Amino acid sequence: MGKNTNGFSIIGKPMAMSDARAKVTGLGKYADDLSVPGMLTGKILHSPHAHARIRSIDVSRAQALAGVKVIATGVDARNPYGILPIGHDERAFALGKALYIGDNVAAVAATTAEIAEQALDLIRVDYEQLPAWFDPEESMKAESNWINDERPQNIEKEYHHAFGDPDKGFERADFVAEERYYAGEVNHAAMEPHATLAIWEPDDRLTVHSSTQVPFYLHRTIASVCEMPMSQIRVIKPLIGGGFGGKSEIIPLEVAAAVLAKKSRRPVKITYTREEVFLAHRGRPITIVYLKVGISRAGKITAVQARVIQDGGAYCGYGPVTVLYSGALLGAIYDIANVRYDGFRVLTNKPACGAMRGHGTVNVRFAFESMLDQLSHRAGLDPLEVRRRNLLKAPCITANSLRVTSYGLPECIEKVFARSNWSEKKGKLPYGKGVGMACSHYVSGAANPIIRSNMPHTTVYIKIDRDAAVTVYTGASEIGQGSDTMHVQIAAETLGVRADRIKLVAADTELTPIDLGSYSSRVTFMAGNACLNAAKDMRDQILAAVAKKFGCAAEELEAKGGHISHRSDSSKSLSFDEAVAVALEFHGALVGRGTYAPPEMARGGKFKGAGVGPSPAYSYSAQVAEVTVDPETGQVRVDKIVAAHDCGRALNPLTVKGQIEGSVYMGFGQALQEDMIWKDGRLMNPSLLEYRIPATKENPEIESIIVESIDPEGPFGAKEAGEGSLAATIPAIANAIFDAVGVRINSIPITPDKILEALREKQKADAGNGANGAKRPSLAGNAR
Amino acid sequence: MTLPAFHVLQPRTLEDAISMLGQHGSDAMVIAGGTDVIPNLQMRLFAPRVLVDVKPLRELSKIEFSPREGLRIGATATLAHILETPWLREKFPVLASAIGTVAGPLQRNMGTIGGNLCLETRCRWYNQSHFWRQSLGGCLKKDGDVCHVAPGGKVCWATWSGDSAPALLTLDAELELAGASGKRRVALRDFYKNDGMDRIALARNELLTAVHVPARMAGRRGVYHKLRVRDSIDYPLAGVAVAMEVDAAGVCRDGRVALSAVNPAPVLIRPAGELLVGQKWSLELAERVAHAAIQTGKPLTTSGSTPVYRRDMVRVFTRRALEETWRNGHGST
Amino acid sequence: MNKELMRLHVNGEEREIAITPNRLLLDALREDLGLTGSKRGCDDSSCGCCAVLVDGTPMLSCVALAASYEGREITTIEGLGGPGELDPVQEGYAEMGGAQCGYCTPGFMIATKALLDRNPNPSLDEIREALSSNLCRCTGYMQIYESVKYAIEKLRAKSSAPVSAGR
Repeated sequence: MGKNTNGFSIIGKPMAMSDARAKVTGLGKYADDLSVPGMLTGKILHSPHAHARIRSIDVSRAQALAGVKVIATGVDARNPYGILPIGHDERAFALGKALYIGDNVAAVAATTAEIAEQALDLIRVDYEQLPAWFDPEESMKAESNWINDERPQNIEKEYHHAFGDPDKGFERADFVAEERYYAGEVNHAAMEPHATLAIWEPDDRLTVHSSTQVPFYLHRTIASVCEMPMSQIRVIKPLIGGGFGGKSEIIPLEVAAAVLAKKSRRPVKITYTREEVFLAHRGRPITIVYLKVGISRAGKITAVQARVIQDGGAYCGYGPVTVLYSGALLGAIYDIANVRYDGFRVLTNKPACGAMRGHGTVNVRFAFESMLDQLSHRAGLDPLEVRRRNLLKAPCITANSLRVTSYGLPECIEKVFARSNWSEKKGKLPYGKGVGMACSHYVSGAANPIIRSNMPHTTVYIKIDRDAAVTVYTGASEIGQGSDTMHVQIAAETLGVRADRIKLVAADTELTPIDLGSYSSRVTFMAGNACLNAAKDMRDQILAAVAKKFGCAAEELEAKGGHISHRSDSSKSLSFDEAVAVALEFHGALVGRGTYAPPEMARGGKFKGAGVGPSPAYSYSAQVAEVTVDPETGQVRVDKIVAAHDCGRALNPLTVKGQIEGSVYMGFGQALQEDMIWKDGRLMNPSLLEYRIPATKENPEIESIIVESIDPEGPFGAKEAGEGSLAATIPAIANAIFDAVGVRINSIPITPDKILEALREKQKADAGNGANGAKRPSLAGNAR
Repeated sequence: MTLPAFHVLQPRTLEDAISMLGQHGSDAMVIAGGTDVIPNLQMRLFAPRVLVDVKPLRELSKIEFSPREGLRIGATATLAHILETPWLREKFPVLASAIGTVAGPLQRNMGTIGGNLCLETRCRWYNQSHFWRQSLGGCLKKDGDVCHVAPGGKVCWATWSGDSAPALLTLDAELELAGASGKRRVALRDFYKNDGMDRIALARNELLTAVHVPARMAGRRGVYHKLRVRDSIDYPLAGVAVAMEVDAAGVCRDGRVALSAVNPAPVLIRPAGELLVGQKWSLELAERVAHAAIQTGKPLTTSGSTPVYRRDMVRVFTRRALEETWRNGHGST
Repeated sequence: MNKELMRLHVNGEEREIAITPNRLLLDALREDLGLTGSKRGCDDSSCGCCAVLVDGTPMLSCVALAASYEGREITTIEGLGGPGELDPVQEGYAEMGGAQCGYCTPGFMIATKALLDRNPNPSLDEIREALSSNLCRCTGYMQIYESVKYAIEKLRAKSSAPVSAGR
């Protein structure tokens, strides 16, 4: 499956996840599975109004209810927080104003969940309702009643970038398209609803077990909100039931549980209902993309112009980063010299949006790849061939200062071209059937940390003592993507021992060094490199001691097959355990240390907003979707998706395939059926019954293909695999629908009613002008 | 979400159950599979003090057929049990077709035919949490006086969202209801009141004990088409059931078409029988029946998708179900 | 509300618990018996994370009142097989990537177990149908099918293995 895996014992070979046994026996613990004696249950009071001033809160009746131990409101935790240093606009509980239906107003900790719920009903809040903003394009025209007084016109952030000469680029174009694209809002819908257990310890410390992708940011935030030194707080990440970005910033229940625990001096657990998961949200925002692209007759992209408006909800969250990714990652996939980008992050009175798998790139990629397909047809070119003609020549620096070090997109395109039988199918299938292709890419971690500093992004320690057990201490967060297993593989490969000799201690702020978290697909690249460095450090210490014993140079030794052996003299060999004893005698203590920080030259340009987009490496994906459209019902069945993904090197092909297929699945959901439906700031479908993530029967067959470009800086050449494939799926399906029935739907999800309407419009238009559509319903094909 | 406080009564006999229902009146609710009742209780859509758990009443779970009496399905027979009854699919294909679309296999292992026929009507302004409805100020059906589907109206449009009822309507099914004064039979079509707030004609102290399908309906071809987003789990956004008797010459001797999920009740398309009887298959005729269907179906914004689309699909599905049943012989034995 | 004493037969053991009548089977398992392998993912019986076997049939414990399941044989994921004695279904999900985050996995394994007990050689369509009450957000289902196939092979090998003559 992998290139050059001959030299490796563990890297590149499919391996079951290191925590799989804990999961399949049901013995592994997720946050809500934890309980401690004396634990209280916390429940949060949410605002029933979309925008309201809080005049007063009366908790006296709730407080009097038997079993209620503590109630907290805004005055109990005044310090604002937020994931970005420029966006500290949230508080544990609303102070002054509630900004959306579901905003956090107070919380109760009681002896049972039932009592806590009853207590919520007894809290009297006097609200003064204010005019509210729900539509982003309306909201950004607001002259008064701003959601946040410090954000005039309800604009959280705007960015305006131009690279090259876009105007000249459009002049040179032979074909120019301009369209408005719309993407509905989607939620991560991880199967595990968020849960946090905050324990007040006998020594007045606070221990927090939480379903988080970012335990170290949570650590900082709780310290600030609870006004405690970080050294008094310990955050532990248990098993996480899926993240996808939904647990990648501080979620209100986490601070609520900490505040309640501190105030009651008791352990408090809060578990969200599924509805509360939707109200905490942080998903992919409603995105409006006004896109203009020009291409030459030969299919070369001459200029791109995008105006992107994102409906961010009531708080900043990751918003500025999301809108910057939308612009920055117009680059680094194709060779585009001229780009203009205007991005707006707008506040509305709805739950805050945030990072979701493919952060910032997905909706714009849908627009771009749809438009490229459209332009290809206008130019009379095969859309796959048009991609071939716009490839980068890596290594290179893009117009917007992104450094591309490895580039497997050409191979991805050729792989899906062959596997999908593209040339036999494109434009040649009967009416109602079609194929479409699209590409996407993503960062392998952000080159610049959220909180700017020159400290490493990840540190890993490896300890070996007299039992010869190898313990890896990493702050990286396993959330189901295989972070733990990746560490085990890298450490075992480097030390030349079996994988089951590696013991992992992860994501515990008291025991493990820092890792920034599981977001922006950074773990394999960054924590992987840190782990590799730590393992090399450890290996070199052992080799040095053994070399001394054998009277040879350390370079003459290798760690392999559970032994430290001389490369050419087979008489000089120690078992790993013997070598450890030698090394302990020699060094006294054995600790390997490794860190990772992206190189200076990967950190991007100097313009405002240049910090987001740069990454030490980019993954690439190409996909072909094959669909069947029922022209009478507008229903779409996706028969198959072939997805090729360049992940640098597949450290573990099993988990890489799982990540590709999971990404495609999530893209499929967003393409056709997932949509948060809003009515005056009220979410109409806050449940897994009505927010319809795909189930087995309608989910397409997915063929995942691994492409390995062997990145020069990735650990063993690896890059990200967990997010980059998602964005290609949506436009691949949209383009396949066009191939099948000749209509383009610029609004996702592409629901059957939209297709029917477009087909009717097309019929009218075709009747009017004699028709020149790609394929037409043949009488025979459509006779029923 | 927590459950409200209630007691659970477990009758040993049908008589026990009836007397419990009589004793507790409006404080009591019947629970069988729990798949509908429990989420609704968690949402605080009702607050019974007593649940009468009829699931253990073995006498109510039998599935029988005799050429004289026809089909009798006890109310607590699970949907899965019905589907797994080998002869049922042959004799009553429309029913098997419909039940096969209910939610998913795990829900069907729990959900009963009685429960499916007595489902609470559904509406996206109603099937929401206590918090959600409170923030809205309630609706006509619960805790409020405004219908958010048809503001200004005084009628509740909460929608009938069961799949088995339309199929059974096309089979002239009857229900057996047991009360303090004994058992009575009621035609299924008279059981539904087309009122989102007061959906079924079942007295507080009555229990649905069985559904009957006349023997003459055995062997009728038929099929159920369900509009939904996912191919499992989902409630219908629209549903069309067709059952008909077709002679060797392809002439329809008798036929029914019924709709679900577009009105507060499952409904028979009244003119369909007249249009179909004595006729041979033609696309034009099917379109006429489909036209009658959209005269009857009145989808509103009670569920996902759009009313216009759901109405369109009632038309398309009606025509297709007729075509499948009649022209292609689906479900013929 | 007063608690009442009741007996639940879980994973081959008779367990006595004191619960209120409105206790859900899922909560009785998780909180009263400490069997946290069964999960809650939704509030409207739509995700399948809570699935357990009741007399061999997979059911949703989140819509089951514990009191109504007295006398029934309940099997949770913990009862399928513990460490060192994994059921082939558990092995399949562990080895083939069927469990990513693992949260939906107990429910999927319960549904799979019930399927293979009834039908040891299901087609892909039958597998899809049997698992269609369960939602997974990680895998895109492909590796779940691989996991089921692994279990099928494993079970087949087991049943065709010659009876050990080693005694």
